[in-house]
Amino acid sequence: MTREEILTELKSVFAPYTSNKEMLESINDQTDLIGDLKINSANLVDIIIDAEAKYNIEIDYDSADKMINVGSCIDVISEKLNHR
Amino acid sequence: MTISTGNDIVALKAINIDRTRQPNFYSKIITDNEKSLYDEALFAVLPLEHFVWLAWSVKESVYKFLKRHQHDLIFSPSKIIVAHVTPPAKRSQAQREGIGFDGESAYKVEATFVGHKFHARTILSPDYIFSVVDNHSGFSKVHWGIKKIGSSEPQDQSAAVRELVLHKFRDLFPEDNFKIEKSLTGLPVLFKNGTETAIPVSFAHHDHYVAYSFVWA
Repeated sequence: MTREEILTELKSVFAPYTSNKEMLESINDQTDLIGDLKINSANLVDIIIDAEAKYNIEIDYDSADKMINVGSCIDVISEKLNHR
Repeated sequence: MTISTGNDIVALKAINIDRTRQPNFYSKIITDNEKSLYDEALFAVLPLEHFVWLAWSVKESVYKFLKRHQHDLIFSPSKIIVAHVTPPAKRSQAQREGIGFDGESAYKVEATFVGHKFHARTILSPDYIFSVVDNHSGFSKVHWGIKKIGSSEPQDQSAAVRELVLHKFRDLFPEDNFKIEKSLTGLPVLFKNGTETAIPVSFAHHDHYVAYSFVWA
């Protein structure tokens, strides 16, 4: 999968946890999950679990810690897909 | 001694109980060693989902405490270790603000992060789990407050928690003017009569609840 394809799919992963739909439509690598999308930190685990299920991957502690913006989420998912 | 504060609130109506009880979910928040703390004594007073979110709220509070002085710190639940959880002698009342904690109605929690020890007090009500962290066990200088609000929108939460803490400061110092601004790293900074203070303030919000803590003698 390309980074653009993952970015597009991530919008549906983030959607249940943000009310900022306008920002969601225009996310890019720099978009911060908490600061920009206003996702509550308590939902970050939901996003990791949802990403694991969507891509059939396992996201370990260290990788999960990196998932603070859209670009780092794509990095982690891409890496896990490549090593699947 | 580092002067800081950190708090967190989890609205229990907003958590997914079934999901929280699944090992693939809670294992992202608590390690196997922390899971072993959930023994028969805790099981008797605390559902697993509450234990998991109690641990989360303590870890998030430790992170906020540290973030004030370590601006590049990344929140890493697996690296903040909950070491001890002691249930209160009695159920928490519906107390929504205080200075320090009644020794009998809050959970006492100890946590560590790279060798540093932290103390937490956690109130578990039917509606929320609220934790405050300090680096000593007295909590006598820790002011805290909780409020239920009518909206769960981020901008309303932000406005409500600021108004809540500013109301408290106006009570404490009626002659002075206060305002809250956000630091470059996103932390709340208290200004008194136009001058930045050294009073550490921490905000938390989840769903329809907002909370604050600050340290002032």
